[in-house]
Amino acid sequence: MNSAAALSSHADPRRLPPTVLSNVLTIGKRELRDAVRSRWFLLYTIAFAALGLAVSFVSAAGSGGTGLSGYGRTTAGLVNLVLLVVPLMALTAGAATIASDRERGMLSYILAQPVRRNEVLIGKYLGLLGALLACIFLGLGFCTLVLAWKGQRTSAESMLWLGGLSLGLAAGMLSVGVLVSTLVRRASVAVGTAIFIWLSLVFVTDLGLMAGAVALRLPIRDLFALSLINPLQVFKMWTLHAVDANLDVLGPAGLYAAEEFGARLHLIFGGCLAAWVLVPLGIAGVAISRRSPL
Amino acid sequence: MISPRTTPALFPAAAVWLLVSCHASAQSAGHEAPAPIAEGRAEPLGVVGRRIAAAAPGDTIVVGEGVYHEHLRIDKPVSLVAEGRVVLDGRGNGDVVVITAPDVTLRGFTIRNTGTDLDKENAGIRVTAARTTIEDNVLEDILFGIDLRESPDSRIARNRIGGKNLDIARRGDGLRLWRSDRTVIEENAIHDGRDAILWYSSGVTVRNNTGLRCRYGLHLMFSDNITITGNEFAENSVGIYLMYSTGVELVGNRLVRNRGPSGYGIGLKETDRFSVRGNLLTGNRAGVYIDGSPFTSAKPGEFTRNTIASNDVGMVFLPSARGNELAENNFIDNIDQVSVAGRGTLEANRFWKGDRGNFWSDYSGYDHDGDGVGDFVHEPGTLFENLMDKQPSLRLFLFSPAQQAIEFVGRAVPAIRPEPKFTDEVPLMRPVPIEPAAPADAGNRGGLALAGLAMVGIGLAALRAAASPRGDRLPRSSRTARPVGAHA
Repeated sequence: MNSAAALSSHADPRRLPPTVLSNVLTIGKRELRDAVRSRWFLLYTIAFAALGLAVSFVSAAGSGGTGLSGYGRTTAGLVNLVLLVVPLMALTAGAATIASDRERGMLSYILAQPVRRNEVLIGKYLGLLGALLACIFLGLGFCTLVLAWKGQRTSAESMLWLGGLSLGLAAGMLSVGVLVSTLVRRASVAVGTAIFIWLSLVFVTDLGLMAGAVALRLPIRDLFALSLINPLQVFKMWTLHAVDANLDVLGPAGLYAAEEFGARLHLIFGGCLAAWVLVPLGIAGVAISRRSPL
Repeated sequence: MISPRTTPALFPAAAVWLLVSCHASAQSAGHEAPAPIAEGRAEPLGVVGRRIAAAAPGDTIVVGEGVYHEHLRIDKPVSLVAEGRVVLDGRGNGDVVVITAPDVTLRGFTIRNTGTDLDKENAGIRVTAARTTIEDNVLEDILFGIDLRESPDSRIARNRIGGKNLDIARRGDGLRLWRSDRTVIEENAIHDGRDAILWYSSGVTVRNNTGLRCRYGLHLMFSDNITITGNEFAENSVGIYLMYSTGVELVGNRLVRNRGPSGYGIGLKETDRFSVRGNLLTGNRAGVYIDGSPFTSAKPGEFTRNTIASNDVGMVFLPSARGNELAENNFIDNIDQVSVAGRGTLEANRFWKGDRGNFWSDYSGYDHDGDGVGDFVHEPGTLFENLMDKQPSLRLFLFSPAQQAIEFVGRAVPAIRPEPKFTDEVPLMRPVPIEPAAPADAGNRGGLALAGLAMVGIGLAALRAAASPRGDRLPRSSRTARPVGAHA
């Protein structure tokens, strides 16, 4: 049996009628399965785990053998790694999915089945998110085990926060990737666009903001507000906030945020990341429903 | 004309005038000057009060177990000793114990529930006489803890002092000395107070105390010749803040996780002739903060064999800090090892003594001749650190890839490589032994391992979902869609 048969099996009167949920789950599962078996997944998982383990080993072996292993230093190194790798993974995976299906003719084929376009979109999104979850949790899980083995002082909660928030970041970036995928016709262009977006978020936005802070002497309030636009910064600040319970490591702007918003920071950061998940996905939903030649 | 006969009479007059003016200037120095002691309201004497009234000087009064709702005034040289758990409860108003006679001993009481009046500075134990011994007491739910005013040669030992859980602005000092020279403060534990503070008190010894979650763990104001050894100050705003004091020995203390807007392990402001040796400073926002110290050029500021590790900034120098000598310290994994606030340089400070420099975890040289000293000078300073020192708000971008990009560019392009902040000509290859030992922190290894297993488990569960039997009916999509009906 193939996917088409599985999809059309909903028409079988003996079975439960197809619901939005069952359609989404079926498509999601197929997407997850495809992703897990693909080369990109293997490559990213290995790269992510290897780099993470390297960071863990180095930070455990560092500190001159004094046993004064860094307070939050390991987490900071892993945050740095997640900032680089996870958005790249999520953006390119998202960008490839619909565009490549379209290119291969698979998309019109799936849509010939009794499923709505939005169900396909969400199903694919969730399936890829599942693959990213596996990749992130396997990588960070092994890092955590190494840290425990090496007797590091990093707390269990901080690693769990890091895992969860990395997934949140992946969810946001995947959403952007899927949006690119619905808008761009060819898979190679979509992936290229995704990489361009990744570069902008990782380097260009921050460097621009830094230049702005220096040249325009931005007040720290504005600097903090502007930094909330970048989901990578939001992820970083949220992780530091959750792990250390203080943002003063980020200097005046962090102090301002901690004093001004206190516990509400969780809501602010959560809201920003949620917006990065929902808004691009919403636009993608509208775009994919409206497009007449797919 | 001043005749030889009238001259001696002028001396006392001058002395009195000096004292008065000094005192007046001290009073005007700030709100910290002690408030006048409120007259005790005419409260009938309680059980303990009557026994004090009946005692003769030199007596020892043993108080039996129980809760006494009394405000005590000890106005004769007696010893008050608690037997069992003896609670003196102030009912939420005024001071609980006031000692107005010299040579009093107060031992083993639980003193609680003072008033919350900051103007009257309600205290658990207030002392206004010399040679007082206060030992083994527990002070709970108090505004001020132990307040010594002009009580020289006293001894404060093994007391546990816990402040009221108030906003920092409404708290009182856990321990305060006002003009109480040669007092010994040892093995006390203070938490949730404002400061433990020494005002105008010389020759004081502060030994083996702990301070937790206060504003300043220990605060010196205009206090000279102070010895501070073996204390631990954690999670305060500032661990030890030395201000306007001369002759301070700071040896073997632990300063841990002192954070917040000030957030210094040790702060020095216009302090002179100080020696900071063998302290451990870790997890603070800034390990050491130096402003205008040493104040004169009489003696270089000495920093020897300290371990400054895992702080946001190891040491912050204001441009006013000149004449410090740092040798055989460990600088380990501070995000920013040494920073100059503002646009000054560190030229007026030295980072070695004789042929021994410091250990820097970021030193990248090697030791070919095996003498334990690196063969190349240590000249730190990355481009991003340089930018951060000039524009502190850029710290917001710490740990981001953009930071690393900037540092990479700074290394790769010599034209924009920043000037080194300072030079250590003889950097050590290995850290000097760390003393005192790092705080005992079990580090939850089991929990960490469990979290790791849980995360791996979640990852594997996601993979299993991809390979579940139901999913088995869905083959991997091939390069092109296959027609319906291609059943296996």
